[in-house]
Amino acid sequence: MRKIIHIDMDAFFASVEQRDNPALRGKPVAVGGSKERGVVAAASYEARKFGVYSAMSSMVAARKCPSLIFVKPRFETYKTVSRQIRAVFEEYTPLVEPLSLDEAYLDVTHNLKGINSATEIAREIKAKIKEQTQLTASAGVSYNKFLAKIASDYNKPDGLFVIKPSQGEAFIEQLPVHRFHGIGKVTAEKMTKMGILTGLDLKNQEESFLKEHFGKAGSYYYHIARGQDDRPVNPERIRKSVGSENTFFTDLESRAELQLKLEPIVEDVWKYCDRYQIYGRTVSLKVKYKDFQLISRSKTTLSPIFSKTDFERIAYELLDLILPVEKGVRLLGLSLSNLEDPNDLIGKQLTLPF
Amino acid sequence: MKFVVSSSVLLKQLSGINGVIANNPVIPILENFLIQLDQNLLTVTASDLQTVMITTLEVESSNTGAIAVPARLLLDTLRGLPDQPITFNVDSDTFGTEIITENGRYKLSGENPVDFPKVPQVTKSLSVQIAADVLGAAISNTIFAVSNDDLRPAMTGVYVQLSSEYTNFVATDGHRLIRYRRMDVTSDSTSTMIIPRKALNLLKSSLPSDDTTVTADFSQANAFFSFNNIKMICRLIDERFPDYENAIPQNNPNVLTINRGELLGSLKRISIYSNKTTHQIRLKLSSNDLVISAEDLDYSNEANERLMCDYEGDDMEIGFNAKFLIEMLNNVNSNMISLEMSAPNRAGLIVPADKKENEDILMLVMPVMLNSYA
Repeated sequence: MRKIIHIDMDAFFASVEQRDNPALRGKPVAVGGSKERGVVAAASYEARKFGVYSAMSSMVAARKCPSLIFVKPRFETYKTVSRQIRAVFEEYTPLVEPLSLDEAYLDVTHNLKGINSATEIAREIKAKIKEQTQLTASAGVSYNKFLAKIASDYNKPDGLFVIKPSQGEAFIEQLPVHRFHGIGKVTAEKMTKMGILTGLDLKNQEESFLKEHFGKAGSYYYHIARGQDDRPVNPERIRKSVGSENTFFTDLESRAELQLKLEPIVEDVWKYCDRYQIYGRTVSLKVKYKDFQLISRSKTTLSPIFSKTDFERIAYELLDLILPVEKGVRLLGLSLSNLEDPNDLIGKQLTLPF
Repeated sequence: MKFVVSSSVLLKQLSGINGVIANNPVIPILENFLIQLDQNLLTVTASDLQTVMITTLEVESSNTGAIAVPARLLLDTLRGLPDQPITFNVDSDTFGTEIITENGRYKLSGENPVDFPKVPQVTKSLSVQIAADVLGAAISNTIFAVSNDDLRPAMTGVYVQLSSEYTNFVATDGHRLIRYRRMDVTSDSTSTMIIPRKALNLLKSSLPSDDTTVTADFSQANAFFSFNNIKMICRLIDERFPDYENAIPQNNPNVLTINRGELLGSLKRISIYSNKTTHQIRLKLSSNDLVISAEDLDYSNEANERLMCDYEGDDMEIGFNAKFLIEMLNNVNSNMISLEMSAPNRAGLIVPADKKENEDILMLVMPVMLNSYA
């Protein structure tokens, strides 16, 4: 049995801002642009009480919370803090898989300090982070990544929650499906319609049934419903692409329909990239026809795509390449790859987007 | 074959077309001028296969014939001679060429003129008349932004878009882009082509600076320019020019309006302190306030200046390559200019405040990424 810890900083960007500027403490703070097209990259807990969440448009956020203070992000500072916490993790194990600046999985089964209790390690890590950065983190401890992640989320902020092997299955059974990591809003809605509301409901489904309705992910759902997740903690993990796709209830035939359906996919991918400062140079469009023939079209630019306008334009250019369609389209997907580390971009002469 | 010509007249004509000749041509005969005589009319041709320049002049003769003579040797000889009538005496069997002057006799070994590559002829084409000074302005306003990158051949020339309303001359090296539009150059049919940089540079240096009419004919593969007694033929770049219109940002709410000379002066001083390879400078903009700064971390040099300006928009910091800005500002003939921006990672637009008649110029420049992402 493995010992996995998931560490997640509490309201990371916003907490760093409150730490560095006492005037912001105890107040609703949103990190991100305040302007018309800005989005909230992170919200302080005070702001969350008003219903302000990350990835929400700044306009909506300001309406929900009129006293909301907008702060420009300082990614350099966040990166510095991220390196500090990373160093803390590495005192305990080389098996650290960062998910973003403020989140990581640790495999402490065989740790460098020879501490037997993963809960004890989590407690020490939290204390060290607090001491070195004056910031709080939440930790989840369990025997696989899926449960560790759910555990860290269970008691936020400044939480420490343990799901022991004996409790795993029971814990999942009572958990509503929308709280499962890996089950998004759309999938959760689909499951609700099918009467699958909790982990137990999910566990009662046949694997073949889940695969039929959710494709490859169905198999993953089948196993996590039983508390099984064999994915290793992978310290080498580097994100290679960001993508989103959608399968449609009815096949798309017309140009107008395709353009309409591509729009939310463009939104999805861009929102994510924008939030995590991910810049890529290759846009790929994936199209699956009703006879399951799969094709893709892609375009690579000389320098990373920084604006939604450019991203959108290239996406529609790619769509134009497959128009007019000869047969119905059942799936559209869009991804951004050839990602560049924002650190490598500093001092770089940017190139025109063509 | 024999003819008499003024040494200075011949030197002037040859100097005008000599630039075509490459240093190490692919085929050795291209180190020569092709000289063709038809009684009083002497035609001289220089070529590098891509570009051909032809000039004609009057000489005293009653012969016809042709010869290829080494360009460098002939030019050096003419440059060293005092102005005088000189006599060329060509032996059509051996291709030996003798120049007889008051100072003495010079013998050059020529080559068989038949070996000189054929010059493309105008075929069914599109014809446009342009005043020499207008064409000259179009070239000098764009050529500095043409790319040197042979991996993207489409960008190694100036893109010309002819239409019935105006003509665009567009150049880009991927980092900046110039679109120079003339309302007084039009064509009945729309057409586009990419003219290589070398040809345009040669054209620029041989064009008169008055309104002499230049006739430009374009066929599928070649462009033909003729004016006075000079003709130039160049091969067009057969590539697709980037879809540049889409790269022009449409919404640029942050507008800096400033005296061109003052901005230029400041940039020149500040850039001395910038990093020697990136030439990165920083513009810090807030309401009616501009601070230009640069630092070279390698030598811990730094400089900053505050300038009077008119700025409307969000507070922002944006980095640019100072060399690009200076080069572009040097090519604008307006007292005041505006720099229109949207974000620190999107192109800035330089637009002259005073517009000249029949002319519209748009310059785009991509920023340099700064470390503090605003």
